[in-house]
Amino acid sequence: MVFVNRYTLTSALGTGLVAMRAALRSGRGGLSQAQWPDCSIPCYLGVLPAALETAVTAEMDSRNNRMIDLALAQDGFADAIGALQQQLDPGRLGLVMGTSTSSIDRTESGYRSLDAAGRFTSPFIQPRVHSPHAPGVFVAERLGIDGPCMTVSAACASSAKVFATAKRWLDQDLVDAVVVGGADSICLSIIYGFHSLQLVSPDPCRPFSPDRTGISLGEAAGFALLTRNDNATGIRLSGAGESCDAYHMSSAHPEGLGARLSIERALKDAGLATTDIDYVNLHGTGTRANDEIEGKVCAMFNNSRTVLSATKGWTGHTLGAAGIVEAVIAMDALCTGLLPGTMNTRQSEAPFHLLLDNLERPTRHVLSNSFGFGGNNCSLVFSVA
Amino acid sequence: MIIQLTGIGIWTRGLTHFSTLLENTGIDPHAEYVIPAPVAIPARERRRAGHFINLAVEVAHQACEMAGVDKRTIPSVFTSALADTEISDYMCRKLAQNEKLLSPTQFHNSVHNAASGYWSISAQNRAPSTFVGGFDRSFGAGLLEATSQVVAFGTPVLLVGYDLATRSPFHEMLPIDVSLGVAMVLTPAHYVVSSTSMLTIRMNIVPKSGSSDSTRPGAHPMQSGLDLAHQSAQLQRGLKQVSTLAIDTPRSGHLWIELSRESGK
Repeated sequence: MVFVNRYTLTSALGTGLVAMRAALRSGRGGLSQAQWPDCSIPCYLGVLPAALETAVTAEMDSRNNRMIDLALAQDGFADAIGALQQQLDPGRLGLVMGTSTSSIDRTESGYRSLDAAGRFTSPFIQPRVHSPHAPGVFVAERLGIDGPCMTVSAACASSAKVFATAKRWLDQDLVDAVVVGGADSICLSIIYGFHSLQLVSPDPCRPFSPDRTGISLGEAAGFALLTRNDNATGIRLSGAGESCDAYHMSSAHPEGLGARLSIERALKDAGLATTDIDYVNLHGTGTRANDEIEGKVCAMFNNSRTVLSATKGWTGHTLGAAGIVEAVIAMDALCTGLLPGTMNTRQSEAPFHLLLDNLERPTRHVLSNSFGFGGNNCSLVFSVA
Repeated sequence: MIIQLTGIGIWTRGLTHFSTLLENTGIDPHAEYVIPAPVAIPARERRRAGHFINLAVEVAHQACEMAGVDKRTIPSVFTSALADTEISDYMCRKLAQNEKLLSPTQFHNSVHNAASGYWSISAQNRAPSTFVGGFDRSFGAGLLEATSQVVAFGTPVLLVGYDLATRSPFHEMLPIDVSLGVAMVLTPAHYVVSSTSMLTIRMNIVPKSGSSDSTRPGAHPMQSGLDLAHQSAQLQRGLKQVSTLAIDTPRSGHLWIELSRESGK
């Protein structure tokens, strides 16, 4: 069995879990009108409330790594890893990070001051920052993790897939514990990129609303410590399912074939039926096509028990971090009983019970969906241990 | 972990198929690098795919064809040190200008799992697929993830490692002099491999702590994949009985690998 020993989240909802819970309870969403340097696209963003003005090491500095550094300091997460390391053989603690942007924010900045030969100039000469593995490098060094380490980058499924990889490592006794995490920061690449696909909403996003107008981007970093036998939070990672659409790079399969497979594989892995699931955190981006397709697939949860919501109206779409953001929101419901509503959405045509407003009730099993470009899908199930 | 290596795909300068190593037909040292154009990608998608994607998809299909596996069902692991530096360069150059309009195709191809997406479309494959990064130790990261998937799924798994030759400003970050893609089909030990398979190598892979001291400074991030291919060809040709290899993984670990030819084949 794989247990979630500890977790933390820093997003537009606040720095750490206490801030996240307070924001969810009081109905205070994290989206605000964009005021981003060099950005002229009218939109709403889920920006971290913290200023992130303090550089991490010169070698590893980037907005993404500053955000990671802040997130690791919350909820005693880094301290707990330090305490665990006193008990473990150094090679038995692994790390799987998930990201889509990595530190491309820093690469973008470096391109504004290339020298005449087209080379980076100081302070942007940072070999290990300009790579997809930058979050893995930074977290491994920050926490002193010496076991297996890698960075998953599968678009918006990235930091859901880290749980699937970690579960395999633990099941196979490659390690005794794994730090999993996800981090994506706002940068021009994502704003102008999604704008080029005409997917950025001029309003705060309204997932599953009949008049939805697209996505609102956000940023976040979150972490969880997974172990085989230590049951500190009372939460278990009970199932993980992964799939591909094999259809199109940026459009989901029209019948949601890949999404259906990832949900079915996660439920099978957990040994559960759709009617066992109390709450589903939908991928729910707020685009016309994605929500329609996920709606068709999730009609399988149309029963008297399951309630579903999409939380990107609270946090923004944090892309490579969406997996960990929504895994944390979903697993936290197992502790608090607070099921967040679908912020900004006032009516629904979804073929299941879409929660518009928050609901409090005891919760045993939750499922979280993450679907990304490249047709990459991952669904996770967390349960009361 | 004992697994079989049943298929290899390769594309680099002067070496565009593993059969060149198996048949020892010799690598032309003066050959120019040719950008692959895998016909397996459907026409609608092919015009959108760039060099990096084509490199991965070409070697992925080569490895699966050699192994004789069902391309529609094999899970896959893609790995690269720097990912698509041609697209990163395009995007960052555009975004440094006042007029920041990006091509939607270049943007959706900029996700690091783009090749995995094109591969899955070209193979009609809905199995799990991932991309893992490990900077200069990416091949080791990919091999560790793929091996763990072979054990978890109990099926063959496709591993694809690929990096493009770099230009400034990425070249100064990690110099890569030639584009290289290498793919492998890793098969569970108990699997009965079809008799037509050209390659049956037994791999005993042991994850170990501590550096292997095998990483050569300035080596291509996929060099250990190329080494594995060369060793496998020598074993298959009967030039040796056993071969050992240490492949570094990110941070302080490595994979200790003993290769031998499957007995009775």
